[in-house]
Amino acid sequence: MTCGAVRALASAVAGVLLAAVPLTAHHVILAKFDESKRVTLSGVVTLVDWRNPHVHVFMNAREKNDRTVNWAVELESPIDLQQGGWNRQSLRPGDAITVEGIAARDGSRQVWGRSIVLTAAGRQVLNLTPRAPAVPLSARPVPRWPDGQPRLGSAPGGAAGYWAYPSATALMEDGAGVAMDADGLLRNVTDAPRVAPLQPWALALYVARQRRVLQDDPMYLHCKPPGGPRQFQLPYGVQFLEDRNRQRIFVLIGSGNNNFRIIYTDGRGYAGQIAGDDDNPLYYGRSVARWESDTLVADTRGFNEEFWFTNGGLPHTDRLRLIERFSRTELDVLKYEVTIEDPGAYTRRWSSTATLRWVAGEEMPRHLCQDNRP
Amino acid sequence: MRSLIVLLALSCSCLAAPASAVAQEGHPIKGSWLGTWAGNTSHGPDIVVVLDWDGKAITGIINPGTDNIPVKNATLNPEGWVVHLEADAKDKSGRALTYVVDGRIENLHLPGRAVTGTWKNQKESGAFKITRQ
Repeated sequence: MTCGAVRALASAVAGVLLAAVPLTAHHVILAKFDESKRVTLSGVVTLVDWRNPHVHVFMNAREKNDRTVNWAVELESPIDLQQGGWNRQSLRPGDAITVEGIAARDGSRQVWGRSIVLTAAGRQVLNLTPRAPAVPLSARPVPRWPDGQPRLGSAPGGAAGYWAYPSATALMEDGAGVAMDADGLLRNVTDAPRVAPLQPWALALYVARQRRVLQDDPMYLHCKPPGGPRQFQLPYGVQFLEDRNRQRIFVLIGSGNNNFRIIYTDGRGYAGQIAGDDDNPLYYGRSVARWESDTLVADTRGFNEEFWFTNGGLPHTDRLRLIERFSRTELDVLKYEVTIEDPGAYTRRWSSTATLRWVAGEEMPRHLCQDNRP
Repeated sequence: MRSLIVLLALSCSCLAAPASAVAQEGHPIKGSWLGTWAGNTSHGPDIVVVLDWDGKAITGIINPGTDNIPVKNATLNPEGWVVHLEADAKDKSGRALTYVVDGRIENLHLPGRAVTGTWKNQKESGAFKITRQ
């Protein structure tokens, strides 16, 4: 297909405004951009920077005083744009466009693009509707190993797949029912005490992070790994690679900086057999698991304090211990139950539950938080 | 499969490397702090404070390795992030001194946050500022 054909196809597709799409980006959009600063720009594309974690379109736009200035239009990741039918040639230097979005908080000439219209065609060229897998009409049986144990990955001989589309993208105690967005931003910050049984200092810190619109998130600022439940809250999913010979499970993480976690199933304890993972707290801690019937129960300790363990910024300390229960209730559904025990930050143990959906027949997207580019 | 495992093992060794000591997202008072207590003729104007949080109390030591002054009482009031430290020491002549530091955490959101305020003992007082390392 020629570039022109691609462009024609792209411009022929009537888009859906980004504002209506509950995507979770590499960073909290409102941390960088101000919802109250609506901007409409008309001008000409000068460069398309097609890179993770966010695509940028640079354009020259004419101001009211007839001065031409260059703006950076930030968009979702290449993965999301490709899923919406874009590629790096959907827009090219010289194209006349009109952009609607919200401007950067810091006053720089950056805008979060919510709508891009090819001026000549008068049509939207953004369409980022998330495509959750279709729900099967009836539950499909859980794939199992020959010994009957559930498989957390693909069925034997089956196509690739991974887990994504979590039912909750930020942690809160089961039953709390607090309204928050996909990034964990509370609709009403006075609800903060209801999210989890926080100690006073942790509550104050959580509120402070919320009031700063989560802009201090170390994953946003420094591409820090998404340890703890956060690895299951991100947009590009996770994949379980079960190495039964070596008695461990690798949890490959599609977001963040594209690294992985190891869950040991060989019965080892918490005295590290690997130098550095017992006395040097890590982003993913040290996970030891066993099977209880059809549920994998992982006990993880030894976390460091250099990351946020959930979207939304609930604090934790290096005393954090997680008990995670993974149950593949049917082929397409993974139930994730986590109990949080952190006497450094919480007044008692508490639990949270979510489910993930199986994305069959697809490779997990590789979204590298490279260059620490916010 | 073997090459995948080798790749994963190699990557694992990278992950197991010592983590950066730059960020600290847990209890805001925890960490090593470096700064000054201005005008202190008994223990010098420079100060190192190492503080920890065990879930119930703040513990710590002032000038570890040189003066070794244990922190006797330390509190952090999250309302305004007000810090209070007390420590018993001795001056050069062996006379008992009790230090009292009152301050406030500034730039809470930064790993390099600071505590600024005042210090005093029975003999002297002055400005206090330590920055988290």
